[in-house]
Amino acid sequence: MQKTQEIEVINEVAIKRALTRITYEIIEKNKGIEQLVLLGVKTRGVFLAQRIAQRIEQLEGKKIEIGELDISNYRDDQKNNTERTVSTPEVTTSTEGKQVVIVDDVLFTGRTIRAGLDAVIDSGRPKKIYLAVLIDRGHRELPIRADFVGKNIPTANDELIQVSLKEIDGKDAVSIVKPTQ
Amino acid sequence: MKKRMLILEDGNYFKGYGFGSDKETIGEVVFNTGMTGYQESITDHSYNGQLLTFTYPLIGNAGINRDDHESVFPTTKAVIVKSFARRPSNWRSQMNLDEFLKEKEIPGLTGVDTRRLTKVIREHGAMKAILTDETEDIETLLERLRNTELDHDQVAQVSTTRPYVSPDKGKKVVVIDFGLKHSILNELNKRACHVTVMPYDTKAETILNLDPDGVMLTNGPGDPTDLPEVLNMIKEIQQKVPVFGICLGHQLIALANGAKTYKMNFGHRGFNHPVKEIATGKIAFTSQNHGYAVEAASIDPAFLRVTHTEINDGTVEGLRHRVHPVFSVQYHPDAAPGPHDAEDLFDQFTELMDSWKGGNLDA
Repeated sequence: MQKTQEIEVINEVAIKRALTRITYEIIEKNKGIEQLVLLGVKTRGVFLAQRIAQRIEQLEGKKIEIGELDISNYRDDQKNNTERTVSTPEVTTSTEGKQVVIVDDVLFTGRTIRAGLDAVIDSGRPKKIYLAVLIDRGHRELPIRADFVGKNIPTANDELIQVSLKEIDGKDAVSIVKPTQ
Repeated sequence: MKKRMLILEDGNYFKGYGFGSDKETIGEVVFNTGMTGYQESITDHSYNGQLLTFTYPLIGNAGINRDDHESVFPTTKAVIVKSFARRPSNWRSQMNLDEFLKEKEIPGLTGVDTRRLTKVIREHGAMKAILTDETEDIETLLERLRNTELDHDQVAQVSTTRPYVSPDKGKKVVVIDFGLKHSILNELNKRACHVTVMPYDTKAETILNLDPDGVMLTNGPGDPTDLPEVLNMIKEIQQKVPVFGICLGHQLIALANGAKTYKMNFGHRGFNHPVKEIATGKIAFTSQNHGYAVEAASIDPAFLRVTHTEINDGTVEGLRHRVHPVFSVQYHPDAAPGPHDAEDLFDQFTELMDSWKGGNLDA
């Protein structure tokens, strides 16, 4: 087995700060929260979307809609999707005419987001789609960019970015996992 | 020790014994609730022109060391304590408070019932006071006190007159000195910022010609409305570079964006002020030192958003500009003295400079 080395690059406080900044930027760019819908890409994107929604509620005093985005049916990088659950709706909330913000943890090749865009567009016609990510690690393979970035982390192709969130991993942290010879 | 007394504008007087310098002094009497950190507070330029009362009864226990000064020439007008420690005990101590105040020519008053003094200030607000020998009668002194006009050029007294640099290899930060605490430079240097400190009356053009990654507006003494020229500078630079304001800098940012400030009854001076970040609901304990505050009702929601508030009295403690890359806090993330809860605001500043450079904010 290949040995790896894990280095924590972002701690809990920095994640908190990044999400707060993204929240302000979403409100400012959208000039308010009218017609705003947050779509979290499963799994960690959903928790990030919830955290951003919480902040928006505290700041604006209004709840906003959040939905989940399940892209497993739309992926182009998995050979055989044997376990396709056709019955799962891909987008859990109506996006027709809305300002949609897709929220994900890491932006890498852009393929996940491409799949996410397909899923969103299949479910209705949003007025606008934004992309918010906690980490942008570069190496895009598609012409996709994020509107809101928590942190840019330049990486090598063989490295891995691991985002841990309290909701499922028990802690908040972002680490780079490097292969070691 | 020499008998001296403190006379307040409203006629209250407090008898005690002098220590430190023998000067007579007139200024605004304020109180600080911190149990520690007297050295940093006395050397903090935000106390310029003020007679500083410590509510903690015994001051000077750890003496004065060479490391914790927040300015080279402190301009606090006087130090008022219940009692001061003649024999300090600390491995860093180099002298006691009395020797230090003599050296810096700051008069001190000890043996004062600081609890009563604090109650008077809390009830009647911070006011003018005179610290003097018990020679003249109180009526004549009161007359003289009431006829004395306090300074309005406090920032000019404490700001640097010439630019200087605190070099490092990272981001270029221009610090506008309204009476800066050394710990601000320390925090910026810790984050590898190359800091250029400029006088308070520097023109926007001069600042922008330095091509900074960000501009920081520091703390300082006095009324923010005494500095109308500075507002034009802020209006210009905030359109071009990220700006971070602390304390007086925060008030100036608010004024430059159409809000108003007011003089608080007795201000926030201490190290245990709970501040809530509205977005996350998280509370930080902060070090504060301000006698003026931003009026919440006067804030134009098209330009500014309140990001932090004080829990006890709801004072505006943090602002963020809705269009420009500007944010500010009323409290001291640099602590010194005080809790380090808010230290990460300096990281927020470096991140803002990063994202501004990266062009993520295309507003």
